[in-house]
Amino acid sequence: MAQQPTGSAVRALALEYKSLQEEPVEGFRVKLAREDNLFEWEVAIFGPPETLYQGGYFKAHMKFPPDYPYSPPSIRFLTKVWHPNVYENGDLCISILHPPVDDPQSGELPCERWNPTQNVRTILLSVISLLNEPNTFSPANVDASVMYRRWKDSKGKDKEYENIIRRQVSGGRAEAEKDGVVIPMTLEDYCIKTKVRAPEAALDMTDFYVDDYDLEDDDLEMSGDDEYDDGDDSGNGES
Amino acid sequence: MSDSTETDENNKYNPGENQDDLILQQHRKIEKEISESIALIGNKEALSSLESEYSDDDIYRQKVQDLSNKYKSVRRTRPDGNCFFRAFAFAYLESLLDNQQEFAKFKDTKNCSIRGGVNLGFPQFTLEDFHDTFMEVVNVVGNGPSACDELYKLFNNSGYSDYVVVYLRLIASGQLQKEAEFYQNFIEGCRSVLDFCHQEVEPMFKESDHIHIIALSSALNVGVRVRYMDRGDSSEVIAHDFPEGSKVAVHLLYRPGHYDILYPSTS
Repeated sequence: MAQQPTGSAVRALALEYKSLQEEPVEGFRVKLAREDNLFEWEVAIFGPPETLYQGGYFKAHMKFPPDYPYSPPSIRFLTKVWHPNVYENGDLCISILHPPVDDPQSGELPCERWNPTQNVRTILLSVISLLNEPNTFSPANVDASVMYRRWKDSKGKDKEYENIIRRQVSGGRAEAEKDGVVIPMTLEDYCIKTKVRAPEAALDMTDFYVDDYDLEDDDLEMSGDDEYDDGDDSGNGES
Repeated sequence: MSDSTETDENNKYNPGENQDDLILQQHRKIEKEISESIALIGNKEALSSLESEYSDDDIYRQKVQDLSNKYKSVRRTRPDGNCFFRAFAFAYLESLLDNQQEFAKFKDTKNCSIRGGVNLGFPQFTLEDFHDTFMEVVNVVGNGPSACDELYKLFNNSGYSDYVVVYLRLIASGQLQKEAEFYQNFIEGCRSVLDFCHQEVEPMFKESDHIHIIALSSALNVGVRVRYMDRGDSSEVIAHDFPEGSKVAVHLLYRPGHYDILYPSTS
């Protein structure tokens, strides 16, 4: 609330950062912008396979408020992104980063809004899906929005939007090479580091009831090829 | 302050500035002033300390008089929009310090609640963190009456205190959603219960109304008596019990916009 970061903010950020380092999530990587500051993160977002963004590498800056997680962070792309929901200066406009308001006109589902149980994971997964499914109800970049709709309405015949995205995606590849980052290109590579996304909620709930949840996790880590095991968590019933 | 307006304004007039941010900044300044002057949970004070607030107001003086026949002390809480949840949590846990039997029962209730919460689709990772911190605070009660100071300290440490508030908000939201059909009747306008939860229950610093109190007290099965002190005609300070007819464990004083904790004379 005040200028001073609250105890909650430091605690929540440290916990999330640690967890994302130990168990990276499909589609993005995070690191601190500066070692000694938990409130600014650098994020690398990979374009999801089988979309226009396949093979893309987008860098962004995430800034957390002192009263995180009660208020949402903000995200600014450092990579040039031509997208209906990204401002000229790179600021990302996405509903999950806005507090909920009673506003039937907004055209957004209220469940996408910020609440204190949202976290970096849920935000970045929303960002990845927004990449491919722009919200044209409240565009931050009107030109991009119009162009996107034209592309969409013409079922891909009007290639202006597509071409710009593809150009930016290939620009990202050079950037990734410079950073020594390997961009996951196939669905398999993209998802391999983590649990399959669709059944995740169900799996987590099951895990939640299991008392030896931690034990099970340790087993996975010790098995050494957890990259593959993680994809099918439910099949690992040894513990 | 709709998203579309905000975006339009940003686009047409102020490309570099986010109106939401500006408003938030102003809110933060006000909140900072409050947080520097009033503790999250105050010390127990004699009920007569209320009198000084109303020395030139006959109606309120009469009401304080009426209150003093029933209550011996009051504990003020910070008016930050979380006061109901914080006051409730502190008052109830404090009452459990010398009622370990009830405490054991209460710990069971909560284990059910987090499962309810998970089923309602809150992200598990963060939900667990809120739950664990909440339990850390709750478990202090197990040390008995001598742990009162520790409880007081934790409730004045925002890292713990605010997590307790978040968790209770999630429990209240879970209860509202579970009994959505019933609670829909109490929600004005065309908002659904889900919208209401997202907008008025889950976010921090959102003030509580009857519906929050009913939901939380029912979910945890903890009776709350609220004394309403306003400018109404009656010289008596009217009481409402939530849920109706329950055994009262927590006494709160409501003055428009704010809840403090009351301590009955008899106990």
